[in-house]
Amino acid sequence: MEKGYLALVLHAHLPFVRHPEHEDFLEEDWLYEAITETYIPIIDVFEGLVRDKVPFRITMSLTPTLLSMLLDPLLQNRYLRHLDKLIELSAKEIERTRWQGQFGNLSIMYHNRFTRARQIFCDEYKMNIVNAFKKFYDLGVLEIITCGATHGFLPLMEVERRIAVRAQVAVGVDMHRKLFGRTPPGIWLPECAYNPGDDEVFKEFGIKYFLTDTHGILFGSPRPKFGVFAPCYCKSGVAAFGRDVESSKSVWSSQEGYPGDYNYREFYRDIGYDLEFDYIKPYILPDGTRINTGIKYYRITGETNNKEPYVPEWAMARAADHAANFMFNREKQVEHLHGIMGRRPIIISPYDAELYGHWWFEGPDWLNFLIRKIAYDQKSLKLITPSDYLKIYPRNQVLTPSYSSWGWKGYNEVWLEGSNDWIYRHMHKAVERMIELADMYSNREPDHFTRRALNQAARELLLAQSSDWAFIMKTATHSSYAYRRTKDHIYRFTRLYDEIKSAHIDGGFLSDIEGKDNLFPDIDYGIYCRK
Amino acid sequence: MDREKLKKVKKDKLVLLARKSDIRGAHLMSKERLIDTLTRISEKKPGVKKGIKTKAQAQRVIKQIRTLPQQYRIKGRTAVAEQPLCREDSGGMMEKIEQQRVEASKYYAGPDYHYARQEEFQFPCGYGDNKIVAMVRDPWWVYSYWEVTHNKENEVKERIGRKGLNPEKSLLRIYDVTDIEFNGRNAHRFFDIELTGLANNWYINVGEPDRSWIIEIGILANNGEFFVLARSNCVRTPRFGMSDVIDEEWMCLDDDYWRMFGLSGGFGIGKGSLALKEMFKKRLMEQISSGGWSGALSSSPVRKALKQKGFWLVVDCELIVYGRTESDAKVTVQGKPVRLRKDGSFTLRYALPDGKQEIPVVATSFDGDDTRTITPIVTRKTI
Repeated sequence: MEKGYLALVLHAHLPFVRHPEHEDFLEEDWLYEAITETYIPIIDVFEGLVRDKVPFRITMSLTPTLLSMLLDPLLQNRYLRHLDKLIELSAKEIERTRWQGQFGNLSIMYHNRFTRARQIFCDEYKMNIVNAFKKFYDLGVLEIITCGATHGFLPLMEVERRIAVRAQVAVGVDMHRKLFGRTPPGIWLPECAYNPGDDEVFKEFGIKYFLTDTHGILFGSPRPKFGVFAPCYCKSGVAAFGRDVESSKSVWSSQEGYPGDYNYREFYRDIGYDLEFDYIKPYILPDGTRINTGIKYYRITGETNNKEPYVPEWAMARAADHAANFMFNREKQVEHLHGIMGRRPIIISPYDAELYGHWWFEGPDWLNFLIRKIAYDQKSLKLITPSDYLKIYPRNQVLTPSYSSWGWKGYNEVWLEGSNDWIYRHMHKAVERMIELADMYSNREPDHFTRRALNQAARELLLAQSSDWAFIMKTATHSSYAYRRTKDHIYRFTRLYDEIKSAHIDGGFLSDIEGKDNLFPDIDYGIYCRK
Repeated sequence: MDREKLKKVKKDKLVLLARKSDIRGAHLMSKERLIDTLTRISEKKPGVKKGIKTKAQAQRVIKQIRTLPQQYRIKGRTAVAEQPLCREDSGGMMEKIEQQRVEASKYYAGPDYHYARQEEFQFPCGYGDNKIVAMVRDPWWVYSYWEVTHNKENEVKERIGRKGLNPEKSLLRIYDVTDIEFNGRNAHRFFDIELTGLANNWYINVGEPDRSWIIEIGILANNGEFFVLARSNCVRTPRFGMSDVIDEEWMCLDDDYWRMFGLSGGFGIGKGSLALKEMFKKRLMEQISSGGWSGALSSSPVRKALKQKGFWLVVDCELIVYGRTESDAKVTVQGKPVRLRKDGSFTLRYALPDGKQEIPVVATSFDGDDTRTITPIVTRKTI
């Protein structure tokens, strides 16, 4: 009999980036890279586990913006175009590196990976990999949870909080129900940012649990008896699970953690930068600006600029070692906790899904090794999802978790500081105005045209609220895209607001932005009614 | 950076440059001080990203600044009071933690990329409201922004005048309203921040976790009477540390708590509660001040793209082998078949390592009757 449980939670998220007005748009590559390097490799791992009948349970949050992009035909076609160019480039690379043994093998590896990705994307899932996740959800190995509609940072929605938060949740839940045919069992709070009381909104939608950072539980009141190793119920009855620091650290930290191993692939050395200009030109930006292609030949090597060639066999051996190490530490952890708690503990290990594959190239292999080892190489530990645990232990302590996030310093400072604090006055105003518009039509039916404008205004508001923009303004060297997106959505919202108020809607403008910001087709502006 | 060069740059550009170097409160500095600070930084950190050594580099930076987005369109100033919890080194480079970098790698397209932005819509300077909003930053700091119309201000000033008083200064008044229904007079305590110039937002060091706060903006008259322009929402700073409340059903005494805390916080197994409590305080304060609470718990910056230090050169060689034959012929190069273009031409490109390469190119006619072989031999030697 197992002594405790491990819940791996992968948070898959990208902001909505879709620019039909441009033939090529660099930021769309965020999605393409994540599909090739993270989502498809993870699907491939799940596929193998199911094929080999390995028992496992894993949790993923798929955010509504990511789902919207994965479902979008334009982006699907563009992804295929992107992937085909990669396949073409990797084929050329096989030729080019023929006299360089180590690189030659690597170029073949990339070529195989890309063609395998194409096979999964096109042949197996007909361009729609949401169906892959749905398949694993239906098979009972994957638990999918939802997220705020556009990953809005909930605690900072300080004006009309209840309605603003409710709208983010309502859209996420609605999408989940339509795509997966059931109510999401849990919600990933954007940036794990919890504001006490927001759980009442989750309750309203039938959501059973959410995740917080460690101190969200530890600083909860009354004192949590079991620390983060058992969930607690908020007064609303929604359960909160806290993140385990130890297991987080070993993956997140690139110094103490696994991804920094010198045998692993170096993220920052890409042939997009390294190779001769004319040769690489068709695969970088049309204006000749060099970008990442995804083909990277070096390993981390050490704290040096003299990188050595990547050796996949060494990296795989390390990934297997690291999986064994992770498992061993979790075994010891649950055995010890089981002794002092008098019940089986749960260890919550949440990660950004994109960490696996995109950042930590070997991450999906590590996951594969880990899941197989847990299934066959030990007896103390079992993989579980948070909702499974609530079924095993329905009785838990009631407490109010503490306000917290998983960002730098544990609170709001990443999303509220000199580079981005100015956006909130505009977003708050837009929320007030959206409510004003929705209330104007709470007692009378808008005509078809006005309804479209109202719904689009809601979309624009939600898009402006993506926490990604504030994050990029703070962390990225080139924040102009985030600035532009904030501006675009506030502008589009404001213009719609003015036009609806003056009953003079510009149809051309409306159609144009409906075509661009085309996510959440079923949105109902009524979510912003005060009621 | 060259002092003379900087003198020619307008102040608002200098502020942006300072922001790029993570200098806090740059907009509050005089131009002279900005130049001082910027010069100091570039002297301290030669060769790093912000270091500017040559004239050409300086011009490039200035050019970059010109194309930077103007992110601070709202007229007014952000005042950042002293931040004891943010440890910054003299260069002001904020330490960044790994989780953040990992997350940022999602949006990483490459180091040289810059998006050209169009100018059309400008964010409004104001919405014609009289309001003040409070937002939590962390257990000790609250952020507030506000907007007050001239009408409202004049109206209040007239009211002050009618009472035979004079307006003295603009204030933020911060009330501790923990667990009370605030009516304007019943706060536990309050403190004031004097506003200067055009400030329209402020970071307020309330200094106390787990308390509720309401902020009013208003005008103080010469007799000490406070006239309110707007009152904010109520926010509660997060609790920081163990709750005093103990659940009878889930009894958890100090020792139990610290034991679970130690385990939850990754402090390891088998430490006494007293030692843990001390460790916790030390480590937590370190984490909060260095920003390492989340994810990493390691305050040192780690692996990132290493910048090439100083002057550098990278050289590599590639070889292009090309030729032409009948379009229906079969061609192999080093024994490997080559696909011909429609006109029978072909081009191959190889990374050329040091050493000797023999490259036999064999063409065979479609019927297999004729064969031609040409073998270039290439030697690369790098010294």
